[in-house]
Amino acid sequence: MKKVELLAPAGDMEKLKIAILYGADAVYCAGKQYGLRANANNFTLEELKEATEFVHQNQKNIYVTVNILFHEKETIGLKNYLLELDTIGIDGIIASDILVLKLAKELKVKYEIHVSTQTSILNSKAATYYKNLGVHRLVLAREASLEDIKAIKKQTHLELECFIHGAMCTSFSGRCVLSNFCTGRDANRGGCAQICRWTFSTSKEEPIFSMTPKDLNLIEYINDMIEAGVNSFKVEGRMRGIYYIATVILVYRRIIDKIMKHALTKQESAYYLDILNRCANRESTPQFLNGLPTRKEQYFLGRDEVSNQDFLGLVLEYDEKTHLVTLEERNYFKVGDVVEFFGPNIKTFTYQVKEIYDEQGEKIEIANHPKMILKLKVKQELHPYDMMRIKIFDKQDYL
Amino acid sequence: MKETYFIVATSKDLFDLKVKDINFLFPLEEYSVGYPLTYKMEEITSENAFLLINRILDEKSILSLQEQLKQISKKIKGIIFTDLGVLEILKEMHYSGLKIYMQNHNTTNASSINAYLEDVDSVFLSTDITKEEMMCILDKVHKPLVVPYFILVDAMYSRRTLLKNFQEEFDLLKQQEVLLHEPISNQDFLAIENAYGTVLYAKKFVDYRFIKHKNAKYRFLNPIGLSKECVEDILMGKDLKDISNSGFLEKETYYRLKEEER
Repeated sequence: MKKVELLAPAGDMEKLKIAILYGADAVYCAGKQYGLRANANNFTLEELKEATEFVHQNQKNIYVTVNILFHEKETIGLKNYLLELDTIGIDGIIASDILVLKLAKELKVKYEIHVSTQTSILNSKAATYYKNLGVHRLVLAREASLEDIKAIKKQTHLELECFIHGAMCTSFSGRCVLSNFCTGRDANRGGCAQICRWTFSTSKEEPIFSMTPKDLNLIEYINDMIEAGVNSFKVEGRMRGIYYIATVILVYRRIIDKIMKHALTKQESAYYLDILNRCANRESTPQFLNGLPTRKEQYFLGRDEVSNQDFLGLVLEYDEKTHLVTLEERNYFKVGDVVEFFGPNIKTFTYQVKEIYDEQGEKIEIANHPKMILKLKVKQELHPYDMMRIKIFDKQDYL
Repeated sequence: MKETYFIVATSKDLFDLKVKDINFLFPLEEYSVGYPLTYKMEEITSENAFLLINRILDEKSILSLQEQLKQISKKIKGIIFTDLGVLEILKEMHYSGLKIYMQNHNTTNASSINAYLEDVDSVFLSTDITKEEMMCILDKVHKPLVVPYFILVDAMYSRRTLLKNFQEEFDLLKQQEVLLHEPISNQDFLAIENAYGTVLYAKKFVDYRFIKHKNAKYRFLNPIGLSKECVEDILMGKDLKDISNSGFLEKETYYRLKEEER
């Protein structure tokens, strides 16, 4: 099977490092300008340089989103920005405005040009239009079906990137300015206020009108998508936390690796699906890949989101001699709790908390201050960026 | 420059309008969304007709459209389209009528518009920009544009059948046009749906009639819900403040929150 790419979101440097360490083949992020998540932390040019060095040291790729729709005043400085990105040595940009697609080509930049999902490509003819502009890759619309993907691949032979996991827009991407009307924030320049997750009333005595979609989850279709010609599997979520990024990327890493070896079992799929569902704050479905979503793929009674508190701590260091792990606490836990550790280079294991030490080495019974530094005695070797979570599922139960 | 009106044929009464330089845009059945009335190809017999194809098309749909366009009457003056795949079809068939690109959210700067104009005869100017931005763009473009005149501005286009889903969920009467109210911002939207998706329009019309520029040659009217008489009033320049506002003409949008709001 041809190698495929697992592409992770990186809203800031910490998330970027987590994504790479947990198995992403590439990350996408934005500079301080021109990205569609204007309110994520994002990266200065200096940080982009550091991020690129880190990513390349790990033999991975970094793509920078330049995917706003430009108004006149934003076009000033764009040329220099595209050249700066070239100097930094990023691997690609993701753009939707034809101005950026053409300008990057004219500037003969060394990085690849990827067409953003904001262009809503659903058919091979539209794909051909962009192919003729000289781009390397198309990020297809989230509305694309498996048949659309196959046809586009067959006709263009371009690299194809598809979203496989995360939040969905109600609208075709790039075709919504509800935020502009309701808040004055321009959705197509990174200010989207997610009005499609708000509620509306109709002019009659009817229930609350809602158009909120459930999330996307294509875990069951990865194999079909590889066969259809998808080259890059993209996870949404530059605004998400590190636990989400780590969990989702690790699950897809393991699934893709198993598929490449023809070794993924139904039981394992079920286990990984449960992990993904648990870590999300909304329900998820395959959305458009296998047909038009119905009422079952959306919410009707306002926001239906749960806050996930499974993430208990981030491993900062591990002392092999004393077996003491230093942990930064994220959610409440106490002596006696059964938890598990997971990470990119360890087999997930269960652990019962017997003793907790605070930063001064004093024994404590509960860890209840987020970000407090703690020590636990753990026999199995751990590494920085491994994570501790509530024990959620036992893989043995699925086998 | 003399202006030419592009009026969406939202009602058959509009065909009786006694105004010069009118072209009607006919939303093509199965290939358009957001209009209360659509037309089969064979129903479009007017001398001053344009096809309006504003759906984002999946593979199956674009291939069937390609077959339909082989039958297009030479009388039809041009094709207005949103999906750039349609442009590829028109190039393949060496189409000689006017080719006009309509995607009013990504025509927000002159360089992009000029890039599209390399392949088409005209482009719809964005409705998401201010009056100053519009005038600046009109000064810089290489060909005349389709500039809004008096329209309902589209705020969202979804492939989902949002009204149908809502009505099925609560076992409500089926309706393809519903007025929605967002209480926090106090905004109203008109949702219009067919089998191919849902379009939300801001409920108030936006009045762009004051714009005069040599590159504002084609003027766009989308008179959903308006009578023939009202359209005549629009064309005669009557004051229609009760049903219209200035949209984003005087209201610049922003996109980065202040630090304290984040």
